[in-house]
Amino acid sequence: MTDAEFVHAYEIAGSDFTNAGRASTSIKETLKEMGLASALVRRVAIAAYEAEMNTVMYARRGTMTLHVTPADVTIDVRDEGPGIPDIPLAMQEGYSTATPEMRELGFGAGMGLPNIKRNADDLTITSDVGRGTILVMTVHVS
Amino acid sequence: MSGAAQADGAGTAAGRGGQAAITLADVRAAIGAEVIWCPDPAVPVAGVVTADLMSDVLVDARPGFVLITGLATVQAIRTAAIADLAAVVFARGKVVPSEVVDLAREMRVPAFASRRSLFEAAGLLYASLGIRAAEAPGRTA
Repeated sequence: MTDAEFVHAYEIAGSDFTNAGRASTSIKETLKEMGLASALVRRVAIAAYEAEMNTVMYARRGTMTLHVTPADVTIDVRDEGPGIPDIPLAMQEGYSTATPEMRELGFGAGMGLPNIKRNADDLTITSDVGRGTILVMTVHVS
Repeated sequence: MSGAAQADGAGTAAGRGGQAAITLADVRAAIGAEVIWCPDPAVPVAGVVTADLMSDVLVDARPGFVLITGLATVQAIRTAAIADLAAVVFARGKVVPSEVVDLAREMRVPAFASRRSLFEAAGLLYASLGIRAAEAPGRTA
């Protein structure tokens, strides 16, 4: 990697399950091409994928921005959606507000946010109920 | 999601200490699966995860695992690609839609189809290949 920073933003459409996961897949390919370690790339990809699926399931739309520096990989996800009224509750493993339709598509295990936290070194979530959620996760390169 | 008692749960298995590496060809033969797309049957298999909920896969699977699932959607393929899995086996005789087959090829994720349930497929791999249960790496409870 060079010292230059890399920034790229991906648009995410709510309820578009056909394309859900494309942004995270693209992020994974980008990080692999940068030569980052496969274990680190996998952690970022899993965290990004969970965040992308949350956006597709719950929000009207969202933007996921990849920011890479020599020290960190940061994913910033901002959505326009219902927000999260109780973030500590949402962070509990198994807690889910998913609909039966979401579960039929393979999601809604109540592991999304806990899985993001597990794979990120740093995670901050801020939410404005009725407006949307901002999720920023960072994985340290070294 | 319906059928066998294990259908909604996620289970993992790994390892065959001291023996030759298990391959996709071994897995296919053990459960009698049909090939959907598999350019290299000699790809080694590190273990097995069975689940219909993809977040459970992302918690429990390690790189090189085979996912056995009843979820015949594009998300099974995307999840396998994100998590560096060796292959996906679509179980329970589910009809695999053409867009799922196309995505498997596009993302280079080997894919198989089996009429067996998750329970049967996991049991056969446990019994015939000696794949044994491993502690899930990510679970905290």
